[in-house]
Amino acid sequence: MAEKRKIKITDISNPNLQPLVEVAPTNTIELPPPYDKLEDLPGFKKLSEATRQSVDDSLDGVVAIGVPKPKTPEEEQELVEKFISGLIKLFSKENNWTFLQPLVLTMEHCAKCQTCSEECPIFEASGYEEIYRPTYRAEILRRLYFKYVKPGSPLLKKFQVGDIDLNWTLISRLVELAYRCTICRRCAQACPIGIDNGLITHELRKLFSQEMGIAAKEIHDKGTVQHLLVGSSTGMTPEVVKDNVSFIDEDLSERLGIKVESKWDIEGADYLVLHNAGEFLSWPENPAAFAILLDAAGIKWTYSSELLGYDGVNYGVWYDDFQFSRIAMRHFEIAKKLGVKGIIMGECGHESKSMAIIAERIFGNEIKTINTMSLIEHIVFSGKIKFDPERNNFPVTLHDPCNIVRLMGIVQPQRRVLRFLAPKFREMEPHGVENYCCGGGSGFAVMTPYNFLDWRIHISGRKKFKQILDAFKDEPPGPEVPKYVCAPCSNCKGQIRDILDYYGAKEKSGIYYGGLVELVVNAMADLKEPFIDFSMM
Amino acid sequence: MELIHLAFYLGLIIFLVIVFAKAIKIATAPVHLRWELYPVAHEKGKAHYGGSYLEEFEWWTKPLQKNLLGEVWTMFQEIVFLKGVWEHNRSLWFGSAPFHYALYLYVVFTILTLLSLIFGLTPTIEGFSNHSIIKFLNVLLWISSIFGIIGAIVLFLKRIFDSNLKLYSNASHYFNILLIGALYVTSFIWLLSSENTIQEIFGFYLGVFSFSQIPSLPIVGYIHFYLLSFFLFYLPFTHMTHFFMKYFTYHKVRWDDEPNLPGSKFRKKLMEQLNFPVQWSAPHIGADGTKTWLIIASSPLPTKEKKNG
Repeated sequence: MAEKRKIKITDISNPNLQPLVEVAPTNTIELPPPYDKLEDLPGFKKLSEATRQSVDDSLDGVVAIGVPKPKTPEEEQELVEKFISGLIKLFSKENNWTFLQPLVLTMEHCAKCQTCSEECPIFEASGYEEIYRPTYRAEILRRLYFKYVKPGSPLLKKFQVGDIDLNWTLISRLVELAYRCTICRRCAQACPIGIDNGLITHELRKLFSQEMGIAAKEIHDKGTVQHLLVGSSTGMTPEVVKDNVSFIDEDLSERLGIKVESKWDIEGADYLVLHNAGEFLSWPENPAAFAILLDAAGIKWTYSSELLGYDGVNYGVWYDDFQFSRIAMRHFEIAKKLGVKGIIMGECGHESKSMAIIAERIFGNEIKTINTMSLIEHIVFSGKIKFDPERNNFPVTLHDPCNIVRLMGIVQPQRRVLRFLAPKFREMEPHGVENYCCGGGSGFAVMTPYNFLDWRIHISGRKKFKQILDAFKDEPPGPEVPKYVCAPCSNCKGQIRDILDYYGAKEKSGIYYGGLVELVVNAMADLKEPFIDFSMM
Repeated sequence: MELIHLAFYLGLIIFLVIVFAKAIKIATAPVHLRWELYPVAHEKGKAHYGGSYLEEFEWWTKPLQKNLLGEVWTMFQEIVFLKGVWEHNRSLWFGSAPFHYALYLYVVFTILTLLSLIFGLTPTIEGFSNHSIIKFLNVLLWISSIFGIIGAIVLFLKRIFDSNLKLYSNASHYFNILLIGALYVTSFIWLLSSENTIQEIFGFYLGVFSFSQIPSLPIVGYIHFYLLSFFLFYLPFTHMTHFFMKYFTYHKVRWDDEPNLPGSKFRKKLMEQLNFPVQWSAPHIGADGTKTWLIIASSPLPTKEKKNG
């Protein structure tokens, strides 16, 4: 690996550094055999010359957003002015009341002690690449805030926080840099002062989206826009999703010998079930398991076939307050129209946090939101269903989705269920609120443009892969014993799928992944056939 | 009235006014969206593992129980032991801890000095120097000065030689450490060079707070109080205001898990905020400077965005 270039904060504006840093896979986080040899792995995909000509890769040679390069100096200047205008709005109460208080607190009170740095799995996995340090992007924004927004003498402000040149090079790199952090907020957890550098990522993304119309295509064009127009970020219309679900029901009914029947638009149902619609396409056994479990527990539930009523995701939470609010409001309206008591949120971390925490603050608690972890615990220990834990007699570990655990404080319900129903359950280390992100947080799990997938496997996902391998270190290392990573979150599952596929971990080590509800249904004593079939995973 | 009077009054007034103004400004900032981070210290019976009331099935049917002692205990550990730095940045702790302890002790020293004055312990009374409080204050100032010098040296060297800190250290960081360090160096020299340091300090505070003449101080004493006056003047304009802003970062952000139930105290304010006009320029927002948050959130995507989508 090439020796690392030592950079200064101000280098982010230097157009002569191409790229600013060169990022490559590193062995800072060592993996056990047979995954320990970096040389066995393909490096980052090289971008074609045509791509490099059209989009900006000057941050680290990786492209997540693909910001088009301005064609003329005038265009460049216009973009710089737009950025400044967005920066000012970001610190105005009318435009950004949603996060103004925590943003200003973080901007003005960081002691730059770097207590947060070691907590960032991306910084560590990159071999401590300076640009990925949690304070780096915050420092850029802080200097811009002092220079362009905060009143006071320019000389005094330079003395206080230093200076920075604002140009297109800085902006295009900052766009990419806003997509090199999963907003897991481990850094914020470590800060003794209460500074939140994860929030800076969130706010930068908002500035770019809400003022400049720049966002990751997968979370804006194919995400929230498609969600609002077509009904789902997956592109499924109500007709298509109903067809798909009907097929899933038939398939599962045939395989399990029981009737699996999803319900649509049932008046008088108690709960609207809102899954991440990606489940219907990628992990159909998850919503099917829900249907079986809810029916067995005697809960009156329904899906909605209204636009957005069958897709609980809300990608807005990662980058745009307005897209977020539009989607959240629609979800609550649909539930209200159906007359249900509340919404059962599927196994999806950002959906859960969006509805139960963030949207709740705006729209209130009229429509109740039920998180899956506490619901499953409630059902499992209600005595209504007979379980045989021996059906789950294989090694199981639990991934804690950041949104559900660190950011909602839902820690124990899923553990109580696993301790009861999975005899070979073991924790990852660290776990609970000190967990590591899967590496796919804040939308990364659905982002695969250019060479970004390589980055999220090698850099943002490496720590999680090590945790998974370590959790099963006492088991036979080969594929003869199937090992189950319980990841009760759609985005986390997407990322873990990509990591396991990349390293061939299923074939080499027998590592599989799935949700929590599948394990619960697998342990239902009344099912003739096991619900989990490793040969089909 | 001497120049030192004016310097001290100016420093103290600016300190009090700006700190108060900043606290009011941040306290009256708009209600933000929930952004809590667990562990939340007031979660009764759950804070020790980071759990929340959301773990309860249908949590709204049960009383929300807050353990305010949990908040106090967490803040106590953070302030007194610098727990976060100890756990996550051990090498810095050995500089940061003495530096902060010195400040705490200096504040305690000053408060006790002022209280002693209020309760009639003046340098003119008989047996002043042998009074147990004076002896105690003397020890406090010694420890504070020594800790302060050690802390300042360690932090200054860390900022220079630790590459993690160096890149992010501005002129103000070095200046702040030198300024605070100089406060302790002067108090240290004062203690070394005079047998009546505490008596002289009492004389100073008696003079400034009774608007009367200050008994003559050694030069180092004057330097010390000019530095202190400048520090009071300067502090509210720096990031060091985290000493009170920490209340907001913890209590109003990290631990703000209050649900929006009917009758919530922030509901009215929130409704006002939803009626703020929006100016963001991206086409998909559809703002025109007059449409409010609520109107935009309840409107479909603008036509242009539909075509792109």
